[in-house]
Amino acid sequence: MLEVTGLSVAYGGLRALSDVSLAVGEGQFITVVGPNGAGKSTLFKTISGIVPPQGGGIRFCGEDLLARPASDRAHLGIAHVPEGRQVFKSLTVRENIEMGAFPEAGRRHYARTLERIHALFPILEQRHAQLAGTLSGGEQQMLAIARGLASGPRLLMLDEPSMGLAPAVADMIFDRISQIHREDGLTILLVEQRVAEALELCDRGYVLETGRIVLDGPYQTLMNDDRVRRSYLGIGDEES
Amino acid sequence: MDAQILLENALNACVAGLVIGCIYGLMCVGLSLIFGIMRVVNFAQGDLLMLGAYAAFYLVAGWGLLAFLGLAGPFAAAVLAGPIVFAGAWLIHRWLVSQVSGLRTAGSLDEGHFGQLIVTLGLALILQNGGLILFGSTPRAVRTPLSASAWLVEVGIGDTTIFLNKARVIACLVAIVVVVGLWLLLDRTRLGRALRAAADNPTAATYMGINVDRAHRIAFALGSAVTAIAGGLVASYLSFTPFMGLDFVVIMYAGVVLGGMGSLLGAFWGGVTIGFVQQFSALALPPQLQNAAIFVVFLLIIILRPQGLFGRSADRA
Ligand SMILES: Nc1ncnc2c1ncn2[C@@H]1O[C@H](COP(=O)(O)OP(=O)(O)O)[C@@H](O)[C@H]1O
Ligand SMILES: [Mg+2]
Repeated sequence: MLEVTGLSVAYGGLRALSDVSLAVGEGQFITVVGPNGAGKSTLFKTISGIVPPQGGGIRFCGEDLLARPASDRAHLGIAHVPEGRQVFKSLTVRENIEMGAFPEAGRRHYARTLERIHALFPILEQRHAQLAGTLSGGEQQMLAIARGLASGPRLLMLDEPSMGLAPAVADMIFDRISQIHREDGLTILLVEQRVAEALELCDRGYVLETGRIVLDGPYQTLMNDDRVRRSYLGIGDEES
Repeated sequence: MDAQILLENALNACVAGLVIGCIYGLMCVGLSLIFGIMRVVNFAQGDLLMLGAYAAFYLVAGWGLLAFLGLAGPFAAAVLAGPIVFAGAWLIHRWLVSQVSGLRTAGSLDEGHFGQLIVTLGLALILQNGGLILFGSTPRAVRTPLSASAWLVEVGIGDTTIFLNKARVIACLVAIVVVVGLWLLLDRTRLGRALRAAADNPTAATYMGINVDRAHRIAFALGSAVTAIAGGLVASYLSFTPFMGLDFVVIMYAGVVLGGMGSLLGAFWGGVTIGFVQQFSALALPPQLQNAAIFVVFLLIIILRPQGLFGRSADRA
């Protein structure tokens, strides 16, 4: 479904991604983990088209994404739930969800999707008339995910949905993401720093460090890898 | 007897302030829309108002296309000035303003404000001097029989009478209808929501599939059109030259800052307030000091309530 090949991105002279390749198949749950500054958000922004790449290619459902403007990508079926939530603070909760349904696919099934969103996150129904800027961090994250779902996407990209949340809230968010994947069969690309939880969910994972993919493989392979165990899971003789 | 004259003058100033204020409110709303959605301070707003006035003039008096409408002609022309200036502003944004605003400058050091200052000031000069070449310096007016007649309302206190200039009252009603229409467009429609989302968070709006550059173009053209309609309405009761924008840009900035930058309804009430201040100052001050009175009130409010009289600065566009 999504194929990234040999992608390189630089900010000014600073290399953020070098020769990154990654593939997401229909119905898969793919996770990218890596420390702060590894280039995870840059990868997402390049897929969404707001950061131009230096080289490499991105194809989505057979189409050359780089040939399309950034504002087309939601219409092609990519939902980007950005780092730090980025909800529309001055719009109400309901208006945020309606904005998510801006693409044609979202409008067509809006009523059904809204019902699904309220089943997943009942709090959003209670708070529907409240300005999004007045929600708590966890609620804003739920709204950001709901807004992504509302577009009726083929691929849901989540950038560190657990960032800045209390552990219990983060666990709840991870549960919902896994539920969306299992019950709705939605294809998911997740970027996370909480490596243990994120890898647990995925079919296949990638480890990104300073702009390079240093390791990739199915869940079991990654969990058994010494380097992953030592540096990300805090298992072994070195500190994380 | 003196008390009654005073009362009559005060009442008339009140009503005239409200009537003129609604037209000022309309022009302020146009400026506020552009600032609220694009974060661009448009110094050419007064000259877009001037274009609206001339568009109305040529439609009614100049080429006489709308003369057949009779008394309704000037007001229909003012409303039609909206779409005409909308088209012009669309092109101005495409060729000029988009070069120094929107996603192109988002995240740059000054968010493009310096470039915007120069481009919109330059645009103001081009429109003023271009207007001088095209329209000439002879003062124009869209006179109608209504400009010189009034409805008289007896208040019932002695023989106190309120004079309602017919042209101004109709212009005021048109202004209110346009503001309400614009508010409904922004609050209730998909396009309005997309504009507000693009203003709130341009990056996230792009993720939703909104073309932010296009949203800004619509906002710029819409804000220009609204101010141009106000210009067309002003033309129905005042004579004007290509430099009329200079007088009105003061009123617009005062109104928008009074109402709180970025708040549409706030900007409208700010304009109404300016109308009141102007009419009341006319009771006590010579005409050439009226703009000074506006400035004094403006400064007082900036000192006492920097967030504006109405609403917060982060209010909904
Ligand atoms: N807008 C930007 N301008 C310049 N450098 C940036 C910008 N955004 C990110 N970077 C740099 O690119 C690298 C990768 O950042 P990012 O993709 O945000 O990493 P991550 O999401 O993995 O924490 C970092 O070194 C960061 O400082
Ligand atoms: Mg990041």
